[in-house]
Amino acid sequence: MAALKKEVVKAEEGEIYDVELSKDLLKANERLAEENKRFLHGNGVRAIDVMGAIGSGKTSLIEKLVYLLKNRYKIAVFKGDLTTTIDAELIARHGVETVAINTGKECHLDANLIRKALQRLDLKNVNLLLIENVGNLICPAEFPLGSDKRVVVVSVTEGPYMVVKHPFIFMEADVVAVNKVDLAKAMGVDVKRLEKDVKTINPKSLVVATNCRTGDGVEDVVKALEL
Amino acid sequence: MTSQIVQSVQAEAEKRGAKRVTEVHLAIGKLTFLGLEQVRFAYEVLTKDTIMEGSKLIIEEQEGSVKCNHCGYEGGFKYEDDPLYHVPVPTLKCPQCGSVVNIVAGKECTIKSIKLLVA
Repeated sequence: MAALKKEVVKAEEGEIYDVELSKDLLKANERLAEENKRFLHGNGVRAIDVMGAIGSGKTSLIEKLVYLLKNRYKIAVFKGDLTTTIDAELIARHGVETVAINTGKECHLDANLIRKALQRLDLKNVNLLLIENVGNLICPAEFPLGSDKRVVVVSVTEGPYMVVKHPFIFMEADVVAVNKVDLAKAMGVDVKRLEKDVKTINPKSLVVATNCRTGDGVEDVVKALEL
Repeated sequence: MTSQIVQSVQAEAEKRGAKRVTEVHLAIGKLTFLGLEQVRFAYEVLTKDTIMEGSKLIIEEQEGSVKCNHCGYEGGFKYEDDPLYHVPVPTLKCPQCGSVVNIVAGKECTIKSIKLLVA
């Protein structure tokens, strides 16, 4: 008589599971950025993200924007930097609320950092938020923050090739400030050429020549930003 | 970015009680700042002494592509060859009608799937 064999089916040790995730990490930042934007709009705040290479003039542009607009808007500034608060202190001297965001090792601001910084602001007293991104022409392109407009500052002292070398950040730019134009001759850089390079890459970008030390051109940046 | 990837995978693996991670499939867009060599290197360093150590990293490069809402074109960028600088520059102009296009692919950094060794 055949014994009934009771076979216990065991999963072989070491079963491999194939798990589909489809998790896009950059999209995750985009979603957070959209949330930030909704939050800001819900509180009647317009935000501008100012990007550009190290030393291009982002802080100077923001200082001049604050100077021009402080009677027209209730301004707050977010200053992204790797560690120090030197620039943040510079801006705060104009009497606007400034939050320094230290990114540590990260070379760009992201929507998550902005979300955290927004918790530090009393938005009842703000209707314009100027965000200074970390000096970098590469990574910030991939990390929208939830701002209404994105500005890229590029200075003539960076040489004639800076725009064509970094097409993707200029594809993100609503407004481009070609800065330090007073030094264009000394640098042998053709400002009109830089403007053409921007328009070739992104026909929608509005380009303004500026000298953020004296403030020349900053009123045109204000107009280009529709402020 | 690579440490975000590693953290995400580890979290998923732990959630499912996995013993080890054997494979990770990534799709990285060509338009992102991520250099594949750098990602591979960082991956090796970051997964040491974790359940991901020794796992195979498979990276699929996604081509950049644009879409034109004006004429419906969908495909690669229009490049302009700059005679002054001798560099082909990608642009947001539609190769078909010249209107401004939207970028629809090439900017992703996706963990497509992972293979887990469950106890």
